[in-house]
Amino acid sequence: MKVELENLTKRWGNVVGADSMNLDVKDAEFVAFLGPSGCGKTTTLLMVAGIYKPTAGFIRFDGQVVNHVAPKDRNIGMVFQSYALYPHMNVFQNISYPLKLKKIPKDEMQKRAQRVADMMGIGHLMDRRPAQLSGGQQQRVALGRALVKEPQLLLFDEPLSNLDARLRLSMRSEIKRLQMGLGITSVYVTHDQVEAMTMADRVAVMKDGKLQAYSTPDELYDRPRTLFIAGFVGNPPMNFLEMEVVRENGDYHARREGFDVVIPSDRGEKAAGKGNVILGIRPEDITISDEGTPAEVFIVESLGRDDLINMHIGEASIHVLADPVLGLKMGQNVRLDFNTHKVQFFDPTTEKSLLWA
Amino acid sequence: MAEAVMGRKVIRGQKPPSRWAQFKATMGAWGFMGPATVLVLVFFFLPVVILFVISLTDLSSSNFSDPLTFVGLNNYVRLFRDRFFPKILGNTFFYVAVTLSCFNVGMALLLALLTTHINRRAGFFFRLIWLLPRITPSVIYILMWRRISHQPPFGLINQLLAPFGVEPQYWLFEQPWLFVILVNGFVGASFGLILFSSAIEAIPRDLITAAKVDGASTWQSIRDIVLPMIRWPLLFVTTYQTLSLLTSFEYILLLTEGGPGLYTTEVWALTAYKRALKTYFGHNQWGYGAAWGFVLVIIGIAMSIIYLRVFRFNELVQEPKIDVL
Amino acid sequence: MTTATFESGSQSGVKRFLGRTLPYVLLVLSISPIVLGYAWLIIATFSYRTEGLFPIDAAGNIGGWTLSNWSFLTDPAIWRVTLNSFVLAVGMVIGVGFVSSMAAYSLSRMNFAGRKGFLSLTLLLHAFPSVTLLIAIFFVLNFLSKIPAIGAWFGYNTLGGVALVMISLDLPLGIWLMKGFFDNLSWDMERAALIDGASRFRVWWEIIIPLIKPGLAALAIFNFLSGWSAFLIPFTFTVGSKVANLPVYMRQMISDTAPTNWNMIAAVGMFQLIPVLIFFIFTQEMLLSVYAGGSKGGT
Repeated sequence: MKVELENLTKRWGNVVGADSMNLDVKDAEFVAFLGPSGCGKTTTLLMVAGIYKPTAGFIRFDGQVVNHVAPKDRNIGMVFQSYALYPHMNVFQNISYPLKLKKIPKDEMQKRAQRVADMMGIGHLMDRRPAQLSGGQQQRVALGRALVKEPQLLLFDEPLSNLDARLRLSMRSEIKRLQMGLGITSVYVTHDQVEAMTMADRVAVMKDGKLQAYSTPDELYDRPRTLFIAGFVGNPPMNFLEMEVVRENGDYHARREGFDVVIPSDRGEKAAGKGNVILGIRPEDITISDEGTPAEVFIVESLGRDDLINMHIGEASIHVLADPVLGLKMGQNVRLDFNTHKVQFFDPTTEKSLLWA
Repeated sequence: MAEAVMGRKVIRGQKPPSRWAQFKATMGAWGFMGPATVLVLVFFFLPVVILFVISLTDLSSSNFSDPLTFVGLNNYVRLFRDRFFPKILGNTFFYVAVTLSCFNVGMALLLALLTTHINRRAGFFFRLIWLLPRITPSVIYILMWRRISHQPPFGLINQLLAPFGVEPQYWLFEQPWLFVILVNGFVGASFGLILFSSAIEAIPRDLITAAKVDGASTWQSIRDIVLPMIRWPLLFVTTYQTLSLLTSFEYILLLTEGGPGLYTTEVWALTAYKRALKTYFGHNQWGYGAAWGFVLVIIGIAMSIIYLRVFRFNELVQEPKIDVL
Repeated sequence: MTTATFESGSQSGVKRFLGRTLPYVLLVLSISPIVLGYAWLIIATFSYRTEGLFPIDAAGNIGGWTLSNWSFLTDPAIWRVTLNSFVLAVGMVIGVGFVSSMAAYSLSRMNFAGRKGFLSLTLLLHAFPSVTLLIAIFFVLNFLSKIPAIGAWFGYNTLGGVALVMISLDLPLGIWLMKGFFDNLSWDMERAALIDGASRFRVWWEIIIPLIKPGLAALAIFNFLSGWSAFLIPFTFTVGSKVANLPVYMRQMISDTAPTNWNMIAAVGMFQLIPVLIFFIFTQEMLLSVYAGGSKGGT
């Protein structure tokens, strides 16, 4: 099923939950709503579910406006962060509840619930109460309940946030596999960008109730259109340095105190002559080498596989990922090599990208 | 062009069902509210109106079947000119002030401090015993108190005090007010006791420990820490119980019926009740009784509005997080 | 400072007494009237007559235990009266439980026109001195009596009428209390049920009510006790013994012109008190929570 949001807005008095959202979800597509808490992603999702009534704008399912269609008539399934299982019902009753409400005959109900439970790997737990299940099992029951009525749209509201890190990883791939296998259009709300980037076909980044960007994970990562997206997507976050780009002898130089790097002309020409601009570069695109920009090691944080190193270049401070084998120490002087094919440039006043306008 | 067409289609297709849906939804909600609404209308709203209307008439059991005669504010004038009006007013003030300060707030606070000071289980036990009068049926409860304060040779007090050489007497008769206040106070104190003790137990232990370390005596830590921390429950109990006491009369009715003698322990609410509904002579002066009652209703409404304002109850009300009905 | 150090030796004993023992002494003293009252009640039910706490026999000596006070149990009237009490109590439990949990649900969880107004009204009525309305309610019941069909069940001098009045007067507290329980429920669960295809009524009945059983139970106990013990309203709105409940029946025994058999009244009282005490023993903590919760205004 195709979902379109047109100028979708939700306000409570003066509080704006979602402000003029415009986006579309293609049939069988997996879309993630990504943003910090309070950005409006859950509000938007609940409007799609029919729980919240939009203040303005339209929601269309396959071209039909569904603003006033009750949640039960939207043929959707939803999975919640808190699982929202019914504690007084056992697993079978939980999963079959949507079917019971549809007045499906008993034996068919039994069959369908069992099939979904087996698919989720919880077929042997049918008599248990939610309280007797682990977090992962509870989430599978919740998924089963959402899938059992064969919905045309699946909604996820931070479904993995309450799980421990390892379980989260396996559930992530499992949900993705299920969604691809069943081909159900899905909207997935999360504040975890790794989840969004790894699972979604397209990611909608939101902030303060507004849609900031809506594109594929690769595009968000490689071609961020605003400073906010550049800083929000990617972990550890992108470094930002204010500087000037000038053309000298046919080369483009990005310069500030203690820093002078030659930029490829395709990127450099767009930032040159604009006065002060913001240069963005990801920590993984900076390497420690024998020559290049001199810098001083300030703080070394071990991330396990890598060290995250805070360095000073003159007054400026940047983060760099380095191999722990190097054994860098505070106060050590090193030289940095920048992968200039990956640098970004932003206008400091509009905060828009100079490269991907 | 295409968009405009779509927009119009949307309006044509969606607006009417939306209003219908909204109406249906609102009706659904009022379906839930229905029984409560009917009962509130019939047994709160209607009575307030009826009470006022009756208070403007001379309706009594002797002219019940006649058409209503309106007498204007005569009943109210009569009320204020009543020979016993000053006595009843004074009684009511005395009863409310003394019971409230000695028991509903004073005793409740003292007991709360004591029961939170001692061992937890023991404290819980004493609180439960204090709850007993509240759940004991009033008729039985009064029966007990009558026997406690009875004349010789039946009364319990006489028997207990005899070894100390106290002259036996009919305590209830000699000291009616003492027992009116004790009887009401022993029921009233448990309300404040329960609220105060849960408030005191909610005070972080660190605060008290810190005060102790700073060298505060028990009394100082109560005055400087406990009392300021429970000032909201204190204020709440005080206002709420003032209102309850002002309008309560069941125990007085059962214990002394306002006596002994003429209007010795008669309070405002009891007067209203007796005038209108339970007179000795079977002559129920509904109109006159209603005037007494309506004055109390006005006081009650005024006080409940004040107390809702003071406690900002409106702020406790949260918005529903589901729009659909 | 110096005095404190100086006297510390002799003071510690006094201080320990003040800190440890005095609270118990005061508390025991404070409950003595209650204990005395109950002690007398129990003794009186099993004796011919009592002087103070002592049972007295015909000769005026201590003694004279008897079961004759309980002879009322063979009188069919007492069972009808008990049944009335029971019906009233159960009526209260069902009536207040049902009506207030429905109203509280929609006040807590639904967004509808008039919600704010009704909420403020509930709050206002929660504090409102409803006994002052008895005079006017008398006329309402009289009017209900005149309506055919309804009047025979819910008019003046009917058990239904008394129950209706008691249910109504307890509603504001019930609604406010239940609203507190509903307010604390998970929104996601309700959203899930709506998406699963349930109507609001089914959500209420199949999902929400099972979840607030503890709250309903607490409210039920509270209402059973107040229905079982009700005196003022049955006394005011009934005449004669046909629809009297236990407290009214006891009161009628007292006000008879014939000499009162106090010890039999005590036995009737004891008889009525037994279910209360059983309830009390098994549900103390729930009761405390109702009193604390109801007065605080929900949460």
